[in-house]
Amino acid sequence: MLKINWFSALPPARSGIARYAMQVLPVLAKSHEVVLWTDQDHVAPEVHKIAHVAHYEPGTPPWREINNGTISIYHLGNHPEIHASIWQISIQQPGIVVLHDLCLHDLFFTFSVRHRNDRAAYLNAMERWYGQEGRQSAEAFCAGGVSAESMPQDFPLTREATRNALGAITHCGGALAELNETPACPTAALDLPYAATEEPRYRVWLAARDGVPHPPYRLVVFGYLNRNRRMGAVLEALAGIGEREQFRLDICGQLWDESHIRAEIERLGLNSIVSLHGFLSDDQVEQKLSTAHLSINLRYPSMGEASLSQLQFWDYGLPTLVTRTGWYASLPEDATAFVRPESEVADIQAHLRAFLADPGAFRAMGERGRRSLKNHDPERYVDAMTRFAAEALGLSPRVSALALARKIGSDLTEWLPAASSSYLLERASKEIYTIFAGRRRG
Amino acid sequence: MKILIATSSAPFIRGDAEVLAGNLVEALSEAGHEAELAVIPFKGYPPGRIPAQILACRLLDLTETCGTRIDRVVGLKFPAYLIPHPNKVIWLLHQHRAAYELWDHPAGDLMHYPDGPVVREAIRQADRELIPEAKAVYAQSQSVSGRLLRYCGIASEPLYHPPANALLFHKSSPGDYLFFPGPINSADRQRLAMQAIAQCRERVRIRFAGEPGSLTEQAEYFNAVRKRKLSDRIEWLGRVSEDQKRDLYANCLGVIFPPVDEDYGYVTLEAMLSSKPVITCSDSVSLLEFVLDRQTGLVAHPTPESLAQAMDMLWADRRWGAAMGEAGRARYRDLRISWANVAEKLLC
Repeated sequence: MLKINWFSALPPARSGIARYAMQVLPVLAKSHEVVLWTDQDHVAPEVHKIAHVAHYEPGTPPWREINNGTISIYHLGNHPEIHASIWQISIQQPGIVVLHDLCLHDLFFTFSVRHRNDRAAYLNAMERWYGQEGRQSAEAFCAGGVSAESMPQDFPLTREATRNALGAITHCGGALAELNETPACPTAALDLPYAATEEPRYRVWLAARDGVPHPPYRLVVFGYLNRNRRMGAVLEALAGIGEREQFRLDICGQLWDESHIRAEIERLGLNSIVSLHGFLSDDQVEQKLSTAHLSINLRYPSMGEASLSQLQFWDYGLPTLVTRTGWYASLPEDATAFVRPESEVADIQAHLRAFLADPGAFRAMGERGRRSLKNHDPERYVDAMTRFAAEALGLSPRVSALALARKIGSDLTEWLPAASSSYLLERASKEIYTIFAGRRRG
Repeated sequence: MKILIATSSAPFIRGDAEVLAGNLVEALSEAGHEAELAVIPFKGYPPGRIPAQILACRLLDLTETCGTRIDRVVGLKFPAYLIPHPNKVIWLLHQHRAAYELWDHPAGDLMHYPDGPVVREAIRQADRELIPEAKAVYAQSQSVSGRLLRYCGIASEPLYHPPANALLFHKSSPGDYLFFPGPINSADRQRLAMQAIAQCRERVRIRFAGEPGSLTEQAEYFNAVRKRKLSDRIEWLGRVSEDQKRDLYANCLGVIFPPVDEDYGYVTLEAMLSSKPVITCSDSVSLLEFVLDRQTGLVAHPTPESLAQAMDMLWADRRWGAAMGEAGRARYRDLRISWANVAEKLLC
C-alpha cells in the first residue's frame, strides 16, 4: 500500500481534471492511503467522503506532512489558476507528474509573465529547453511578434513540467516523443480512465433518445470551448448545407469568446438552429447527452490532451466527430468519424449528410464506442498508475544523480577549460553512476 | 602501518565523535602505527547539498601520500566512510541518521525539506552500494549495527570502546543520591526523571550535572522543581569538572540515565567502571546492551510511574544496588572494552 499525496483540481472546480479525479480517486482510495492536497477555497462534500482533504498554501507548503507520504502525484494542465501552484510544488518535491495537456507553453507563459511579472523565468525556461532559438522566439512572443497559436506547437515546454519528476504519465502513447519532449525520467502512457455507466441506466438513455421526435436531429458540443474547439468551422459547415434544418445544435459549456460566437450565429443565419447553454449541472448534462444524436468533439491544434468528454459521449452511446490529430487520431476507426484539419468544413458536412442518409450506422458507431470503454476501466488504470509509481520510486536516487551531473557540468565550465576537464568529468560521471544508479562497477 | 582515520565533522563543533576519533589515533599510535586524522568538513543542510558531499568524498584519493602507500583507511562517520581505499575498514559511529531512524523523529531535519525524500533515498542508495566496499564493517554499538542491517541489509560486528580516561573511574561507598550526568537536553529526558521523583514513595534525591541548552530551558527546570516542591530532593550542579564527575559517580547510590534511542552512551560505561547500577528505560536502545535488568541495573518503562518504582527499589535495597554495581563492573571486563582491543580488530 502506498501513502499517496494527490495534487489535482477537485470538484467543484470547472476542470476536466476534477472530473477525471472523481473517476480515479474512489478506486485509488480503496487500496491506498490517499491525502488530497488542494489550495482551492472549497472542495465538494463528495470528495471529503473519498479521502482526507488537506489544504496547503502554495508559498509555504507543509513539507513535513507532505513527506509523510510515500509519493506525490501531480496533475498538470494548461490552466494557470489551477495548475501553477501544483507545478510549483512538483518542481520542489519530485514525484509522478500526470500530463493532462502535452503542450504546456501557455501555463508557463501565463504564470511567469502575466501572473508573476517574471519575464526572465519564462525566457530562461525557453532557453533551457530550446537554446538561443527558444529565447529569441520567447522575446519575440513577449513583444507580440509571434502568434499565440504557433508558440505551444513549436515550443511545448513540456519538459519544464517534468524536469524534476520521478516519472511522467500521459494518456496518449508516443505523443511526447512526437513532440520531441521526452523527459529524462521514465514515462508511461495509460488509457484515460472512465467507469462506464451500468447497462440498465444506459437503456434508459437510449429510450430517451428514441423518444425525441426526429428529425431534427440533435447535435451537441460540450466542455470548455476554447479557440481550438473549432466552433467557427462547425457553424460554417452547418450553415453551408441545404439540410441544415434537419439539425439542432446545442452548445454546452464555457465559450472562449461568447460574443464572437453569437455574432457568427447571427451572421450565418443559424439563430433557429443553434442554442447556447453555458455551463451545465450534472443533471442538465445527462438530459442533453441522453437526448442527443451526434456529438462534435473537435480539437485543432491539439495540446496533446486526452478527452474525458469523449469517453462520456461514448458512455451515452453517442457517435462523435473528432479531428484526426493527437490523442483523437488514436481512437478506434469504427467508433468515431474523423475530420481532417485541412478540410474541416467539407468533412463535417460530409459526415452530417452521411448521418442523414444512415442514422443507424452512426448509432452503431456510438455503441462500438461504448463497448470500447472497457479499455478505460479505472481499476486497471489505478493498478497501472500505482505500479508505475512504485517502480519510479525505486529510481529516485536518479534525481540526485542528474542534479549533481548538471551542477558539476555547469561548475566546471566556469573555471576549467574543456580540454582539461575530460578526466574530471569522466571520474565524476563514473562515481555518480556508481553511487546513485545502484550498479556496482564490474 | 600508515593509517588514516577518515571522519567528518561540522567545523568548530566538538562532540563525542571527535573525542573518539582522537582517542583512536592515540590508541593506534600506542600500538606502534603511524595514525592520522583526515577530517572532511560536513554541512548537512540544505539536503540538496549532501549528494555533492558524498561525491566529493568519492573523488578523494587516499591511497598514497608523497609517494608512500597509505596502508589502511578507517572510516568513521558519514560521508567520510565512503572515501574509497583498497584496504578500508569501516567502524561505523553512525549513518546520516535523519535519513534513517530519525526520518520522522522530531530531531530529524530532512523531513522538513521538499527534496528530503529524494535525498534520503540517495543517501540510502550510496550506503547500500558503497559500505560493502570495505574489507570489514564494525559498528560502535549493537543498535548502530542493527540499523545498518535493518535499513541497508549490511551485516556488521559491534565493537565497543571505553570512555575517555577510563582508568580514572573508581568506586566509593554509596551515598545518599542518584546521579544523572549531563548534558541536559530533551533526548536525555531529565524532565522524565523529575516527573518520576515526584511520584517516588521513598525520599529519593537526584543530583543533575551538566548545563541546559539555553537559559530558558534552565528556568523551565528550576520552575518545575519549585512547582513540584522538590527543592530539597533535586540538586542542579551545572557544569562539573571531569574530576568532580568521577567523584559524583563514585559516591552515588546509582546512576539514572533514560535517554531516547542513544547510540552508545558513555554514561553507562562510566557507571559500570564506577561499580554503580544504572536505571534506564526500555527505549534507551543501546544502553540495553550493557544494562541487564535486575543484574547490572534496572530497566523501567519510559513512564514516570515505572521510573519512580525503579528509583524506589534502588533506594530501599542498597545492598542489592551495590551488588548490581559490582556485576556491572564485571560485565565491563567481560566485554573486553579497551582501545587495545579496538585497534587489534580494526587492523586485523
